[in-house]
Amino acid sequence: MVRLLENQLLKEKVYMRQIAPGLEVFVLPKKGYVKKYVTYAANFGSIDSRFIVEGEDKELSVPDGVAHFLEHKLFEDEEGNVFDRFARLGASSNAFTNFNNTAYLFSCTDYFTECLDLLMDFVQTPYFTLESVEKEKGIIEQEIRMYEDNAQWRIFFNLLAAMYKEHPVRVDIAGTVESIRQIDKDVLYKCYRTFYHPSNMALFVVGDVDPGRVMAQVEANISKRNYKELGEIKRIYPSEPAELGQDFVRQELVVSQPLLNLGFKERDLGYQGERLFKKELTTNLVLDVVFGSSSKLYNELYEEGLIDDEFDAGYVAEKDYGHTILGGKTVDADRLLERLTVGIKVAKKNGISAAQFEHYRRKAMGEFLKSFNSLEFITNNFLAYHFRQINFFTYLDVLQSVTLADVNSRLHQHLVEDSMVRSLILPKNSYSHPG
Amino acid sequence: MPNYMRSRLANGINLFIHPTVKFKTILVQLIFHRALREDDVTESSLLPSVLQRGSVNYPNRMAIAHRLEELYGTDLISGVTKKGERQMVTFALDLVHDQYLPGESSLLKKSLEVLSDVVTNPVLDGESFKEDYVTQEKEQHEKLIKGLINDKIAYSVERCLQHMCENEPFGVFKYGSVERLKAIDGAKLYRYYRHFLRESRADLHISGDLDAAEVSALAQQVFGFERGVEEALAATTVQKNIGDVRYVKEELDVSQGKLVLGYRTGVTYADDDYFPLLVYNGILGSFPHSKLFQNVREKASLAYYTYSRLEKHKGLMLISSGIEVDNYERALEIIHRQLSDMTRGDFTKEDLENTRSGLRNQFLVEEDSQSLVVNRVLDDMLVGREENTTELLKRLDAVSREDVARVSANVCLDTVYFLTKKGGA
Repeated sequence: MVRLLENQLLKEKVYMRQIAPGLEVFVLPKKGYVKKYVTYAANFGSIDSRFIVEGEDKELSVPDGVAHFLEHKLFEDEEGNVFDRFARLGASSNAFTNFNNTAYLFSCTDYFTECLDLLMDFVQTPYFTLESVEKEKGIIEQEIRMYEDNAQWRIFFNLLAAMYKEHPVRVDIAGTVESIRQIDKDVLYKCYRTFYHPSNMALFVVGDVDPGRVMAQVEANISKRNYKELGEIKRIYPSEPAELGQDFVRQELVVSQPLLNLGFKERDLGYQGERLFKKELTTNLVLDVVFGSSSKLYNELYEEGLIDDEFDAGYVAEKDYGHTILGGKTVDADRLLERLTVGIKVAKKNGISAAQFEHYRRKAMGEFLKSFNSLEFITNNFLAYHFRQINFFTYLDVLQSVTLADVNSRLHQHLVEDSMVRSLILPKNSYSHPG
Repeated sequence: MPNYMRSRLANGINLFIHPTVKFKTILVQLIFHRALREDDVTESSLLPSVLQRGSVNYPNRMAIAHRLEELYGTDLISGVTKKGERQMVTFALDLVHDQYLPGESSLLKKSLEVLSDVVTNPVLDGESFKEDYVTQEKEQHEKLIKGLINDKIAYSVERCLQHMCENEPFGVFKYGSVERLKAIDGAKLYRYYRHFLRESRADLHISGDLDAAEVSALAQQVFGFERGVEEALAATTVQKNIGDVRYVKEELDVSQGKLVLGYRTGVTYADDDYFPLLVYNGILGSFPHSKLFQNVREKASLAYYTYSRLEKHKGLMLISSGIEVDNYERALEIIHRQLSDMTRGDFTKEDLENTRSGLRNQFLVEEDSQSLVVNRVLDDMLVGREENTTELLKRLDAVSREDVARVSANVCLDTVYFLTKKGGA
């Protein structure tokens, strides 16, 4: 049965249908767009490193970086390289892996039907050989090396590794040069069998397309494969204590000035759906009031030269973990830390006023509306929220349901000093600016 | 080009209106054209930041930010980009269209008024910008100049271009230099600003679900300020004859080496041969099916990223790749082999057709982005091209194997730049 969800303010509709054996399909028609953008995603990310393989009873612990490695390898099959086949259709294909999901996508203008089948076919046809797996290690090693030189990336992962004691979100998505060396085709097949079943996946189609025809095509593609029902996937996440692993971490890199990030570890965990969505939107409103570009704190820090206009604050909401991270480049990390700490205390003392609350809620509403120009934004968010049992279309309703009392209590409860991690990148003293 | 209407405001600003119904937003870009010159870029790239510190009606950064948030989070963003030997200084607005905002009927007018106040009505101290604003923005700008090193990929590409074009305007860094920055003060920058505002060629683009006559009247009303005679702009120089290949190595304490190769193609977007060159670059390195990706990455496992791209207004091509420093010679050899294969015409019909389809796709999807449409018009204006997408696609369709061979004969290696580890290869 096709369900239709309409958002009056947004003037958009999304058609949804579950296709046996459990694939969730979404179609959002965009009249007048030339591009069609399709993503086929598995609810399998870098944090899914311990689980029980379908049909077995023993727990399997896989090397770090497997989900990402698998993403790279699905682009090859017996006939060769999948990129070439998309290229023949004038389409471009890509994929990405994050902590929670793996997504395969293409964008095209012509040959939409052929491209859709190609996407579904290659994702549903694993083909790993000893040779091709070994060859990929050199490529991924260079991907890891590239990020080792990226200060923004390093400060982020250093912070997570300090904040979390046990949870695998503390480990880099691509793994390490050492961990990927342990990956072989057997472990890839085991992961594939466990997580790439249609009932653990979702497909999102956006563009000027006919929803009925898309649904029928997807159903035809899936039904010919005779999937059996999948039992429950047993993912094992270690229990994460409330306290921090470490409250401070630092690294030296070739950068022009220090970087400081502060992280606040979530303690209110264990749920998904609308409640999680509301917590996320509430927290982002709080961060905007306290650290946003029209806040008193931001402008004082900017005028003192302690931050630049890339200074940013954001919140991540997942069922089993969550955190706020804020910060950026600075000339004086100690002084910035002190000013931010005092700024948070002052914000708590003053509280958030009704006028401030309405002001930032209005801004959030406008930003949400604007983002609906981007097919990529719509797709990525819809799928990421879907896997957390959230319908992204409810954004404006959930935003309206947040109250002034909610943001004020969140401000006091979330930004607390004993859940705070500092992550610092310092310039290697050997570096001086050329010319 | 997708249809737009071009006219001129009374003060000489070129107005481009792009009516389209498919977006939720209205995009505005006010673009000032400057000659790319060492004695101009520091001022032109600093100026937008100083202007965004305060205007008469919104006297500080906080007041501007607060007003934009009130306007449903309208973005006001400034930036500088190099197009050939021109520096484009852009002020852009991105705002929600009224039809998505119950009770709102004039968000474009309100947003344009903020933009106009920021650009044309700065808060002053006599005949000078406020000195504390200028001092603070000079500090921020110095950090921006020095911060290039923070992104090693962008850094290595910029360093290659700087070496390659050291005696040409194109070698000038778009943010200018710390030395020139030191000499700037509030009064000097204000004098520069008066000249910049009055004498730079300026384009105003407005894209969205709009009534052209209404918007044109609005633009005239909001941007009616007085201007002088526009400064003439020199054409970009395209150098073809070069001497020996220049090899540059730079050592930093990094984990991955960055290899960048700079080539002269002799062909720009103004030339008919641009389309064969586009195909050449596509077969060589701008797609995952291209030779570089297939050979450097997929076959030899030497790199994660490896691509080629064109500088279409300057007639250059760049190849960029991140590799293990010990693999420098091997990577270089494989890259050279891909170029010599291209010159010998050693590519398949499928390579040619896949590339043509991929490029066709890229041209077509530009229409789904307001900023890409504006960018296309800007590129067309710079070279005097007056063709719509259908006509461009015809040119692409007409490219033959012989055409690709012809342009490949002119692609000459100029500079090999390698960012390597301390004590590395």
